[in-house]
Amino acid sequence: MVSNVSMAVNLGGIHMKNPVNTASGTFGHAWQFEGFYDVARLGAVTCKGVAAESWPGNPAPRVCEVSSGILNSVGLENPGARAFAEQYGDYLGELSSRGCAVIVQAVGHSVDECRRSVELLDEVAPWAAGIEVNISCPNLARGGRLLGGTPEDAEEVVSAVRPLTKKPLLVKLAPARVGEIARACEAAGADALSLVNTVNAMSINVHTRRSRLSRPTGGLSGPAIHPIAVRMVWEAAQAVSIPINGIGGVATGEDAAEMILAGATTVSVGTANLYDPAAASRVLDELEAWAVEQGVSDINELIGAFEC
Amino acid sequence: MKATRDSARAHLFDFAVVSNEQVAEGAWCMVFKSEVAALLAPGEFVEVSVPGDPSQVLRVPLSFSRADAEAGTVRIEYAVVGDGTRRLSLMRPGDTSTLVGPCGHGWRLPGGEGRVLLVAGGIGLPPVLAAAEMLAAAGRTFDAVVGAQRGSKLVGVDVDLLREAASADPASRVVVCTDDGSLGRAGFTTDAMAELLAERSYDAVLTCGPTVMMAGVARLAEGAGIACQASLERMMGCGFGACSCCNVAMRDGTSRSCCMDGPVFNAGEVAW
Repeated sequence: MVSNVSMAVNLGGIHMKNPVNTASGTFGHAWQFEGFYDVARLGAVTCKGVAAESWPGNPAPRVCEVSSGILNSVGLENPGARAFAEQYGDYLGELSSRGCAVIVQAVGHSVDECRRSVELLDEVAPWAAGIEVNISCPNLARGGRLLGGTPEDAEEVVSAVRPLTKKPLLVKLAPARVGEIARACEAAGADALSLVNTVNAMSINVHTRRSRLSRPTGGLSGPAIHPIAVRMVWEAAQAVSIPINGIGGVATGEDAAEMILAGATTVSVGTANLYDPAAASRVLDELEAWAVEQGVSDINELIGAFEC
Repeated sequence: MKATRDSARAHLFDFAVVSNEQVAEGAWCMVFKSEVAALLAPGEFVEVSVPGDPSQVLRVPLSFSRADAEAGTVRIEYAVVGDGTRRLSLMRPGDTSTLVGPCGHGWRLPGGEGRVLLVAGGIGLPPVLAAAEMLAAAGRTFDAVVGAQRGSKLVGVDVDLLREAASADPASRVVVCTDDGSLGRAGFTTDAMAELLAERSYDAVLTCGPTVMMAGVARLAEGAGIACQASLERMMGCGFGACSCCNVAMRDGTSRSCCMDGPVFNAGEVAW
């Protein structure tokens, strides 16, 4: 739609023509969506997470459906940073030149692995507008607890990767202790925060008594987690002054608007991309219509405009 | 292979149900009208949004037995195995929804000019019928083994169409077998396949059915030195390569995507 509302936002140095982004792991490497709409309409896309070396991911089944959402245990399968840039770099560079900010995501199973993937991505993805580091992976060097599950651990990861890139650095948080962890990330030099990652959950086939995934637990995403995510974005927004990219069950413009009112500067559409492939484009239109309805001239006026 | 903006094949289409009827125990046949009909190749699939329960968000991946570009219709046969397919079975003529397609890579026309062997088990029959019609259109000869748990579960209309596709070749054989012997010969498809392999030579084997059956078919084909294509099934998140949920483990230790690299794989490369 064409309106007089300015939709441009600044996510910690990532200049986006509108606040709509995509959640890592739900948008492939963006090219898969070109058959549904012009992906360059979006303010940004966030690519699937990549490590320095390839990861095989978990065995099948990796996904099951639950009420208003899905559980996944993909295990961050990825080809490694160099192969990622080789296969998708040309397309993503072109997407960037079409006016869509491309955010790449770094993953690791230890602080050192995160360091190596950020370092490599900085080298092989010159077209990237920013690097998001996912601190919701298990830290295999420390018994499998979350890489950034405590403020101390989060600060350690962010401090370790911060000097390795001049690009805007986003940190993607797990849905726990977000206020404290957000503060720790800000103190360690993060430019922006993405939250929330999936919610650790279980689904059991009672007939076979087995998990419906190949592992006992998986990550819950989709509309089921939206109200939780809105609350966490609100908490984080009160805790820090760096901008927030709100993620969690966003499927409509109203869902995105809630995130913005709670304090998010940008909003990522995630699981909805899988079942409604034109969702992110539609969310953009609906969000703009909402801004018009609210009578503002700039979407930035609505960030954190929630009134208790 | 490098991705480009033009690599994306899947698009969003509307569809309208023409007919939707039960054709066997637990199995339905739906014909719908959709522009996707002109784009589908045998062995590919579509991801259908099934109305009726907004809390169940994922689309249902469905293979098809025939896509008629001229009539603009697609025929799918499906087993009611969960809530999505149960709601699908409730759709009535005139009902509309959306689908994503074409998804995946389908059957490849086998090299050579010799006879091809098709092996179908259970609800694996529809994509095998699509393969049979592809072979017939290419002037290739084939035999087929079609299996089901019991006669009541066999989709008879598909077997008739399979025989029709094979009819240009008087020497072709279509063998029906059931686990309990209630229709055709008693026994597994792999038993019938082994007998055919002993009698005749084949250029290729194409199979779709339960994983345990396809693993057996792949083993027999490999033992006979015959190239084998298998159409696999996985729980899927999207069907067009966005989520990496439908991985297939390969013998070389790598992992492939069922929705993008498959669903039809070289059976010899799959870690059964």
